[in-house]
Amino acid sequence: MSSAGTQFRALFVRELRTVVRTRVYFLVALGVWALVVALVATGGGGESGYLPAVVDLLLPLELLVPAVAIAVGYRSVVADLERGELAVLESYDVPAWVYVAAIYAGRAIALSAMLVGGLVITAVLIALSAGPDTGIYATHTGVDSPVLFGRFIVLTVLYGLTMLGLVVLVSVVARSTRTALALAAGGVVLVVAGGDALVILGLSEEWLTADSLFGALATVPNSAYRGLVFETVVGVASGVENGYAAARWSALGLLGWLAGSLVLAVGLLGRRQR
Amino acid sequence: MTETTTPTDARQPAETALAGESMLTAAEIAHQYGELSVLESVNVDVPSGTVTAVIGPNGTGKTTLLRILLGQLTPTEGTVEYTGPAVDRPIGYLPQQPSFRPQFTAAETLGFYGALLGRAVDTQTALDHVGLAEAADRPVEALSGGMRRLLGIAQSLVGEPPVVVFDEPASGLDPSMSTRAFEILADRAAEGTAIVVSSHDLGLVERFADRVLVVHDGTIAARGSPRELMAETETESLWDVYDAVVHGGDQ
Repeated sequence: MSSAGTQFRALFVRELRTVVRTRVYFLVALGVWALVVALVATGGGGESGYLPAVVDLLLPLELLVPAVAIAVGYRSVVADLERGELAVLESYDVPAWVYVAAIYAGRAIALSAMLVGGLVITAVLIALSAGPDTGIYATHTGVDSPVLFGRFIVLTVLYGLTMLGLVVLVSVVARSTRTALALAAGGVVLVVAGGDALVILGLSEEWLTADSLFGALATVPNSAYRGLVFETVVGVASGVENGYAAARWSALGLLGWLAGSLVLAVGLLGRRQR
Repeated sequence: MTETTTPTDARQPAETALAGESMLTAAEIAHQYGELSVLESVNVDVPSGTVTAVIGPNGTGKTTLLRILLGQLTPTEGTVEYTGPAVDRPIGYLPQQPSFRPQFTAAETLGFYGALLGRAVDTQTALDHVGLAEAADRPVEALSGGMRRLLGIAQSLVGEPPVVVFDEPASGLDPSMSTRAFEILADRAAEGTAIVVSSHDLGLVERFADRVLVVHDGTIAARGSPRELMAETETESLWDVYDAVVHGGDQ
C-alpha cells in the first residue's frame, strides 16, 4: 500500500513545482523585495542601522505579510476543487491531512522565500551602508546588531506562516477562486483589524484590564507578532525592563492560530470528501 | 465501504453473470438531497471483465449513482461493497470534466499520479495507449479539451485499478476519438477490469457495453445486455429501448 509519506512527497513536490512555474509568484516576490527595501530607504535609510529598519518595517509588514499570504495561498485548495482534481485524488485514497499538510508545506516555502528574500536584501544593504557600531554579533542593551534583525526575520516568517494557515483554511471553505479571494481578504481584515479593535474596545469598556491585556494581545496574530518583535528585538536593545508583551503567550498565540487553522482545514476537507 | 450487502431486491431481476466475479456491489441504495429523493432501492453488481453502461436522461441520478459507487458520496440508505483484490487503488475515476494543473506536461501529470501510489509510471506507453504519445511533453494548458479527456482516461487507469468508473468519457470528443475512448474501455474490460461508464452516446454504448442499466426516475428501470433489452422491448436499437423505457415509446 502507498504510504502517507509517499503521497505527501508527491503532493509536496507538485506544489513546489507549481509555485516555481507560476510567473505571477515571481512578480509578487520581486514586488515584496522592492517594497521592503523602499520602506527602509524612505524611512531612516540603511545607514541608520538594523533596529531603526525594524521600527520602519514593523507596521507595514503587519499588513504586507497577510497580503502576500493571500496571494500565495488563496488558490491552493479551491483551484484543485474547481478542476475536479480533489475528486480524482480521492480515488488514490489520499487522506485529507496529507493533502492539507503537503499543500501548506509547499506554499509555506514559497511565502518564506518571499519574506526572507526581501529582509535579507535589506540586511545586506544595512551591513554595507551602516556605521561600524552595527556590526556587533551580540545582543546587549544599547547595541544594534544583525542578530536582532535575524530574530525579526524569524518572527516575520512565523507571522507569515500563521496567516498562510488561515488563508489555506479559507481556500478549503470556498467554492470558487473568486470567493476564496474575497473570503481571504475579508477574513484577514477581520482577524487583523477586528482583533485590535476588540482589544481597544475591551480596554475602553473595561472588560479588559491591564493584567489581562497581554493575554488578549497574544490572541490576535498581528498584535502577537508586534509584541514579540518589541519584546525580543526592540526591547532587548532599548533595555526597558517592564516588557511590551507576554512573549511566550504571543508565540503560543501565533502557533495556536496556525495549528487551529490547519486542523480545521483538515476536518472540513475530510467532511467535504465524505 | 465495508458493510456486508443485503440480498438482491425482489423488485429488480437478478442479473445474469456475464463475465467474472463481482468487484463492486451496491445493495438497496437510496439517496436524498434534502427532501428530494434522487435514487430509490437501487441494486447494482459490477463484475470483472465487463463494460457496464449507465444511461438515462439528465437529472435522473446517474452521477449520484456513480459517486456512490466510487465511495465519494455516502448513500442515505443501503451499502456499497468493494469485493475485488486488495490493491493500492481499487477504483479508478474519470470525472465528467477532467482538468489538471496547467503548469505540468501530460507526462509529468501521469508521473505525479503514479508517484501518489509510489510507482514509476511508464508515461510514454500510457499516453501512447490513449493516442497522446506525441503530446507527452506538451503542457496541459496547451492540450485541447478532447486531449485533456484522453489524458484523464490515462489517469483513470494509473495503478491498474480492478474497477474503473468513467463519467461521460466521450463527451466533447470527435467521432473517431469517442470511438477510441470506448475501444480503450473495452480493451481494459477484455483484460479483466470491471468498467462502469455513463454516456449519452447510445450508439457507442450499444456497440461496446456488455450490460446496460437504464436509470429513470431514481430507479433502474431496465437492465441487461443491449441484445437482451432489444429483445425484451421488441426494438432494433438501444435508442429505441431508451425511448420505450423512458418515454414509453412516444418519441
